[in-house]
Amino acid sequence: MSGGIFIAGARLIDPASGRDIEGDLRVENGVIDAIGPGLSPDAEDQIIEADGAVLSPALIDIGARAAEPGRSGIESLDTTIRAAAAGGVGTLVLSSSSGAGLTRPEDIDWISFRALHAPVRLLGAARTHTEAGEMAEIGLMLRAGAALVSDGGDLIADTRFLRNLLSYASAFDAWVGLTAEDIHLSAGTIAHESAMAVRLGLSARPGISQRLGVERLAGLAELTGARILFERLTTADGLDALKAARKRGLDVAASAPLTHLLFNEVDMGGLDPAYRLDPPLRSEADRQALLAAIADGLIDVIVSDHTPVALEAKANPFSDAAPGSSSLEALIPVLCTLDADGQLPLAAGLKALTSNPAEMLGLPQGRLDEGAPADLVLFDPQAPNVYGKDGLESPAPSAFSGRRLQGRVLLSIVDGAMVYARPGFAE
Amino acid sequence: MGQGEYSYTFPHRGLIAASALNRVDLELIFDSARAHLARNRTEDKKHPSLKGLTVINLFFEASTRTLASFEIAAKRLGADVVNFSAGNASLKKGESLADTANTLAAMQPDLLVVRHQSPGAAEFFQRTTGISTINAGDGANEHPTQALLDLFTLGEHLGDVGGKRIAIIGDILHSRVARSNVALLSLMNADIRLCGPASLLPADADRWGASVFHSVEAAIEGCDAVMVLRLQRERMSSGLIPSAREYAAIYGLDHARLSLANEGCIVMHPGPMNRGIEITSALADDTDISVILDQVEAGVAVRMAVLELLAGRGMQEMVP
Repeated sequence: MSGGIFIAGARLIDPASGRDIEGDLRVENGVIDAIGPGLSPDAEDQIIEADGAVLSPALIDIGARAAEPGRSGIESLDTTIRAAAAGGVGTLVLSSSSGAGLTRPEDIDWISFRALHAPVRLLGAARTHTEAGEMAEIGLMLRAGAALVSDGGDLIADTRFLRNLLSYASAFDAWVGLTAEDIHLSAGTIAHESAMAVRLGLSARPGISQRLGVERLAGLAELTGARILFERLTTADGLDALKAARKRGLDVAASAPLTHLLFNEVDMGGLDPAYRLDPPLRSEADRQALLAAIADGLIDVIVSDHTPVALEAKANPFSDAAPGSSSLEALIPVLCTLDADGQLPLAAGLKALTSNPAEMLGLPQGRLDEGAPADLVLFDPQAPNVYGKDGLESPAPSAFSGRRLQGRVLLSIVDGAMVYARPGFAE
Repeated sequence: MGQGEYSYTFPHRGLIAASALNRVDLELIFDSARAHLARNRTEDKKHPSLKGLTVINLFFEASTRTLASFEIAAKRLGADVVNFSAGNASLKKGESLADTANTLAAMQPDLLVVRHQSPGAAEFFQRTTGISTINAGDGANEHPTQALLDLFTLGEHLGDVGGKRIAIIGDILHSRVARSNVALLSLMNADIRLCGPASLLPADADRWGASVFHSVEAAIEGCDAVMVLRLQRERMSSGLIPSAREYAAIYGLDHARLSLANEGCIVMHPGPMNRGIEITSALADDTDISVILDQVEAGVAVRMAVLELLAGRGMQEMVP
């Protein structure tokens, strides 16, 4: 057995414990062997000079779409996985709306099979319902290794069906990720209801639609005892309802999409299809509320909401363009930029992408602890980064393209193995 | 042993709900059933204690086995039996249930056996006609003779049911068999466990005097008997559970799961079975474990006992 990896002189951030110290970290046999200042490497260790860069647990993204299975898209699953590694993601949970949908136990088996040779840890979310609107085989999919259950952004209209589904799922003790919107207020809309949307002539949904959605689901959580994850909350109204649900003691969680931490509706004011997203970009007040909710823990997790859209599907007027953005490689730069601007402390952002999702899904990674799995990301939080200028793994259109951000991933380690190194680094 | 030896006269006009019975009622019924069971195995099955009486079987819901069981029971007791079942034109002509009841009552039957999809139907017939009525299943409410034959079968195999651990697995929410069984098993102080998908368990099932499980493995542990319920196909199409395949994988009973139960644990099913879904064929046909056909046999004997008691012609009045 050859030596381990010795990362010298890093800023070690462990979001779970709140620790933020200068020091070294040694990896051996897939686990973190030692952490602290003044460690010495073993003779055969590969030594990496971090030079003050941040070393944190690798990110855990519980909401990224792949174009597979069942469809050929702009991005193969291998490409999505490479983008994840380059983005510092060590655990990638594919959305249940990946490709043609992760609707059958066979689809989860397919992910487990692909995971065998993937450089990052690959999991999948089980779709709640089939295309015909029937309950999917969520029990078999969870047994096959699905990380959670989710509607994949396809809002379930029938409340009685939803009750049965949540009741059924409650026996498996899994998180059920659901879209929180009012079905009729949100149907067919492409923008957030505001003076801006009216001026642009876009069909829009009010923020209240999300509040009604959260309240409806919270009622069902209370009735069935199911654990609901409100997926992709983006409005202050929705957060109000989430706060009320928490106050009632319900076992609920919430995620926020990366794009909505940086952008607001003004960014789509030029009707650039790159900013056509689902849910739509919201007001600045909503964005501020979202950042505050992440900082104070009301929002549990940040998801990349990575959605590889074909170029031709984006090459349309705003209203007709397919929603979605390639975002896996923007996770670290967005966190660093928000931190540098004093909008969201780095530790809070990292927590929502490491220890919080790990705790939700019961994963051992997501923390810097001796004996913990060696899933790590080393990044320079100050490096300027004009997004996409130096090339990206993902060829899919991104809302972040050309944005002046800061922060660059230097090295990704998963299970003790280097799965990505920035060209020129650690060679 | 005759009814007189109990210094107790069967006090019920009809058998509408298992929950109305007490322990002495059960002893009366089972003592008599045991005698019928023995006689039913001989070549002279006739025991004409209901001679001269007319029994009407009124089945608004399709049924083969329960109807046959009641018909055979009444005929062996020498009664005249008339069957009306779901296919019958007379039950489909849009007549109100009250008119149907009064019309039949005018023909002077002595006993009615009623199956209907609405909870309370048997009680309605008895109240409307004043004729002794046996509930052969009213919606998801009660199926008392099924619970009686189940308890009788349990007794034959386990002896005293008190303290025995008995699991009922399946669609508890829609099951009259489960409700009637819970009533009798709690009367006997059995340790009752209910298990099924959460969407097929009533929200307040834990207040039925039973413990509630969502894992079959956990429910079966240490059981002396397991009752498997039939899974109706419409539970899948109505979105309560995903598929027969998933149900079989997660809630289906097989030898491996049953190995968690106590040595000698028996398996019951009220029928008709979905082989390969709620129970594997291998287990259903394993005569060391499965007592499903014993249940069917006991059904006739128990129904004979109930008919006799309700007709006021319990064993002490028998012509020698």
